[in-house]
Amino acid sequence: MFNYRVLAIIKRELRERLFSKAFITTTLLIPGLIIVIFGVQALLYSTESKNLNFELITENEELTSAFVYEFSNADFVKEKNYVFLYKTMTKEELKKHLEEIRNKITDESLTGVIFVPSSALKDKKIEYYSKSPQNIALSRELNGPINKVLVDAYFMNKTLNPEELEFARRGVDFAGFKVSEEEQIKEEGYGNIILAYAFTFLLYMSLLIIGQITLQSVIEEKSNKIVEIVLSSVEPKELMTGKILGASITGLVQMGIWLFTIMGVVSSSWITLPDNLVLEIDTKVVLYVLANFFIGLVLFIGLFATVGAIFDNPQDASSGTMPIMMLIIIPFFIAFSIMENPNKPYAEIASLFPFSSVIVMPARMTLIDVPTWQLIAAILINILTIIAIFPVAGKIYRVGILITGKKPKWSEVVRWLKQ
Amino acid sequence: MNSLEVRNLTKRFDKIVAVDGASFEVPDGSIFGLIGRNGAGKTTTIRMMMGIYLPDEGEVILKGTKVGREFKSNVGYLPEERGLYKKMKVLETLLYFAELKGKTGKEVQKKAVEYLKKFELYDRRMSKIEDLSKGNQQKIQFITTILHDPEFIILDEPFSGLDPINTNILKEIILEMKRRGKVIILSTHLIDYAEKMCDHLAIIEKGKIVLKGSIDELKSKYANRNVSLAYKGDISFLKKHNEIVEKIEDFGNSTGIKVRKESQIQELLKLLIDNGVEIKKFDANDISLHEIFVETVGNEVDSESQFSLSDREGINV
Repeated sequence: MFNYRVLAIIKRELRERLFSKAFITTTLLIPGLIIVIFGVQALLYSTESKNLNFELITENEELTSAFVYEFSNADFVKEKNYVFLYKTMTKEELKKHLEEIRNKITDESLTGVIFVPSSALKDKKIEYYSKSPQNIALSRELNGPINKVLVDAYFMNKTLNPEELEFARRGVDFAGFKVSEEEQIKEEGYGNIILAYAFTFLLYMSLLIIGQITLQSVIEEKSNKIVEIVLSSVEPKELMTGKILGASITGLVQMGIWLFTIMGVVSSSWITLPDNLVLEIDTKVVLYVLANFFIGLVLFIGLFATVGAIFDNPQDASSGTMPIMMLIIIPFFIAFSIMENPNKPYAEIASLFPFSSVIVMPARMTLIDVPTWQLIAAILINILTIIAIFPVAGKIYRVGILITGKKPKWSEVVRWLKQ
Repeated sequence: MNSLEVRNLTKRFDKIVAVDGASFEVPDGSIFGLIGRNGAGKTTTIRMMMGIYLPDEGEVILKGTKVGREFKSNVGYLPEERGLYKKMKVLETLLYFAELKGKTGKEVQKKAVEYLKKFELYDRRMSKIEDLSKGNQQKIQFITTILHDPEFIILDEPFSGLDPINTNILKEIILEMKRRGKVIILSTHLIDYAEKMCDHLAIIEKGKIVLKGSIDELKSKYANRNVSLAYKGDISFLKKHNEIVEKIEDFGNSTGIKVRKESQIQELLKLLIDNGVEIKKFDANDISLHEIFVETVGNEVDSESQFSLSDREGINV
């Protein structure tokens, strides 16, 4: 199975891939792309609510001046250049007023009107009039400061000491602590979620890219008729093994470069991450992710190579790769969904399931403590899957690689298995 | 001694029987021709011999034992449909294919350089394959076939697409290989090449071996009452002489004429001279392989493919 011929094929594949422009550019470009995606998101988030104009209307002067005092010193108003125009009027007057300024709201020269009725001092219900009233980011932002003003106003005439008042003003601070088998219970920030994102993205991109490259190269050999010459020297099984291992090692090297770079950057003193962004990534995690990835890659590349052998041009092959793409894309979305709550019932299954474990397990193990047996099981299950499906894949490869001409039907492919 | 023996090879694709019980023997130190029209089953037979296709039935025997894995390292194979890795460099390509055959190191490198010099490609050794002309790519392909010094060389339509000069170089090398005791199997539909180069042959038609043997044997068997004629003028009057002429086969450059009785050969010559035909060659009891081919496969050859056969033989060997 593993002999000098397979070795020669692996060596050629590596020479061809590792020093190719495509390899070097994707190795550099993909992390850059991820940074850009995160950057754009952050940018959109930070620009979305800048330079907004509001009218803040209350039913009595005292409340208005309390808002003026509170908001003029509030950080978010300064940072984002919000402009507030403070007015005092009754509910009836407000109705008339809204009619007058309707145009300003609809053409968005006025973002919205926040109306705090006197009744808010009892039920804390306020009203917001705008062209787009369902602005979650805005309501989250204004919630705290408005609450503070209302609390202050409510307790104004009651005898409370400042400490009690301070307590009443406070919102709830929801701090997450990660309970693991390690002795220490650590407060956890967003760092591990970011890490899970990074793992998910990198694994997903890499599977797609290496898979496509393998597909192209098998099709090239087939359509350029190279394969017949190669097969006069080696067995189809040897060629397939060599190609799969060559591509998988390429992927492993690339992933290794990415992950160790991340680890190096994060643990170095070049940059100091804010407390809530500290992420834990150590050699053990990286090595596990790489091992899990390598086995998964072998499995996926085997499928891509098989599909490549069935078709003799990339257009036809794209229909054949659809099912494999699904096996990559669905776990990608599962990995994203478990970032919200890693304890979802399907998270455990998906992180052990063949194919999907490649992407889901790294995300899951970053977020929660996964028992060691599950980590090992995920790899073993993929190995068993390889053992189960590769004989079939090899047969299809063996027959398909020599057949050119019209696009074969799936029923024909099934018949190849009997040859 | 037969070094290679093909026994009852059969290959079916769905319902089509591509090769049907093909058996032939390839003697030691000979050039063996596998001859047939396009689609007759030559390539399928060769692929089965190479272990590229698994035969449905039959086997290939090498010196008394069934061929196994090690046979592949001992064969140089030039497929009909050729291809190389376009992005690989010339020398790198040669060394890679030798490595697949288990040959590495300085020895092979030295030989690769020798062959490149012979084919006047040494200065292109660092070029990418895709930058070479088609003819030069074919030369590289041929070098990969013989670089590892195999005992057997299987060439599937080796001359297709080569210009006369390269055809000659290739022919020289094939003959040199023969002198060095290699067994060469040549599959072709170009019968003139086969006639001039092969010692033994098998004719395959519709997947079946319809004729086999040494060229000399076959010729003496078929040459009886046959005249191979090259001439200038008009010989259409011969059609009237049914009492002498049994059959006329026109192949353009030469004509084969079969007389009814052996004693009539002299009469035929006289008839031609009397009718003012300028005779360039008159070869009694000679027959071209072409005629044998047509005679064996003939009834099944439709006019179109007959035309293509004589059409393609035109290049001089």
